[in-house]
Amino acid sequence: MSVAAQSVRGQAGVRSERWAPALAGLLALLLLAATAEIVLDGAVGHSPLVPKSPEIAGWLQGVGERLGFRVFLIAVLVFTAAYAGLLALARRTETRVLSKRSAIVLIGALHLVVFAGPILLSTDVFSYIAYARMGVEHGLNPYLNGPSSIAGDPVYTYVGHDWRHVATAYGPFYTLLSYPLAPLGVTGAVWAMKLEALLASAGTLALTWRCARARQLDPVWAILVVGANPLYVIYALGGAHNDLVMLLAMMGAVSLTLARPSSRGREGAAAAVIVAGALVKATVAALLPFMIVSRRRLAPIVGALAALGVGAVIGYAAFGVHGIDVVAALNRDAAFVSTDSFANEIAHLFGKPGVFPIDHDLLKAGLVVIVLHLLWRTWRGYDWIAASGWTLLAISVTSTWLLAWYILWPLPLAVLTRDRRLLVATFAIQGLFILHQITPLLAPVS
Amino acid sequence: MSTGSPPLDGGLGGRLPAWLRPRELELGGSGRTRLIESTLLALVGLLLAIATVNDVVLQTHVNHRLVADLRTWRSYTGHDYKNLSVEQDLYGHTTRDVVCGNVTPGAPKERVQICLAITGPVAHGRRAAHGGWYLPPKVEDLRRYRYGCYGSTKDGRLCPQ
Repeated sequence: MSVAAQSVRGQAGVRSERWAPALAGLLALLLLAATAEIVLDGAVGHSPLVPKSPEIAGWLQGVGERLGFRVFLIAVLVFTAAYAGLLALARRTETRVLSKRSAIVLIGALHLVVFAGPILLSTDVFSYIAYARMGVEHGLNPYLNGPSSIAGDPVYTYVGHDWRHVATAYGPFYTLLSYPLAPLGVTGAVWAMKLEALLASAGTLALTWRCARARQLDPVWAILVVGANPLYVIYALGGAHNDLVMLLAMMGAVSLTLARPSSRGREGAAAAVIVAGALVKATVAALLPFMIVSRRRLAPIVGALAALGVGAVIGYAAFGVHGIDVVAALNRDAAFVSTDSFANEIAHLFGKPGVFPIDHDLLKAGLVVIVLHLLWRTWRGYDWIAASGWTLLAISVTSTWLLAWYILWPLPLAVLTRDRRLLVATFAIQGLFILHQITPLLAPVS
Repeated sequence: MSTGSPPLDGGLGGRLPAWLRPRELELGGSGRTRLIESTLLALVGLLLAIATVNDVVLQTHVNHRLVADLRTWRSYTGHDYKNLSVEQDLYGHTTRDVVCGNVTPGAPKERVQICLAITGPVAHGRRAAHGGWYLPPKVEDLRRYRYGCYGSTKDGRLCPQ
């Protein structure tokens, strides 16, 4: 390359470096604007995207207009484009386009805007509250009864129709964690659940930061990828989903294994934290075999067994044998089919009206093959954190019941591994999920 | 390539035979495995992308048809009702959809309903109604409740004789 060409390229590079922080600021503003649009319009109520809910965001009314599919989808697409642009900018430029402080302020602002607004897109939080109220206010076992057994309770009217006769599928630790919120009343419990999700998210991001530093990766990039993700902010945090509590346990365990100096105590504790997380939501148990195969020490096995023993005793004491029968709950939920699941889309592609029972078996078999392959790779020295991330991604892709917040499970692990394929694959799956939502934008129904 | 965490000294790993011990580096030959994995990932990604786009196109067509069906019902009956019930053939085996709505103002399905069997392509935002039937109030659109069938539905399996 000639000196003149190098000089021109250098000048262009300097110009783009100068513009990068301003562009990053603009993209950050777009993220905030898109979030604010959804929250302010959602606060007006009477929207198919905002579940029937107690008046918790009434003080935001008067600013926005009723949230329709069109505005929501445009806001999600703007958010996604700004997020992609911000990550590309943060990755490609030599100088840091977003300082540590700016990144934390941006993620904090996104979280607070969502926290201030209504529950978005899901009635799950009302199921959590209903199960807590069943146990605390009505003396019923939420592992044996659905919310329909408390039809006179004020929370019942807010529980989704599909879940009114369904007993809880969550672990006993989560159910016990939600019990202290039951006496707060429905409105108080909704705010407490929102706060719980906010704090769990803050903890997850802090641990992601810590893990990224331990692996000598860019922690600012890592928290931006997770904390400014559209599905994370709008769907998971917006719906106050307990997946955030599960992610907190997951990242707590990963953080313990990455802490230096390593010790048997930390490894045992890490395995115990995974089991505790699985007693919140069972999915996180997928990490345990990879951790054990990678470490090949007794400490994680002992830690996991000890935590399992304690958890089983607590679960049994609180809820009887049904409280610890995680397999039954998983089998029940595995039979559900959602329109957004990839299994359903592939069935349509082959001209079938939907997923058949044989498809469930094929998907389970496929998942087993993937997990066995990843265990073999881990045995040979592959990064157990990456293998765990692949497994969580495979679980969400092969699940016939796919919801937006399920595709978040592998994300904090994907930013911690040097196998970039995992992050690319996670982004690709999230992108396809968002793409699948846009039909009302292409053909609105009036 | 390896990003595996370094194992601890001693413990179970230290007492295991060499081939069972935890590894700091991934064993050789992982390049070929990685190539196979990446190829499979690309193929699965392609399948999922095609399935997603196909589903979006399918849903978009269904929505277009739905909009045309609603317009057709409103145009035939002269009622600008919002709450109409539509039964669509979602998977393209036929183009026949059935749209039902009240013949007089009232809550959905609280009055006698008129149903139109709508088929064919969308032209000028509407489709053709080739027949239909009436339903008494407060019932679902089941064959046994249908009466006063007209048009092409009189000869078919759609109405009781």
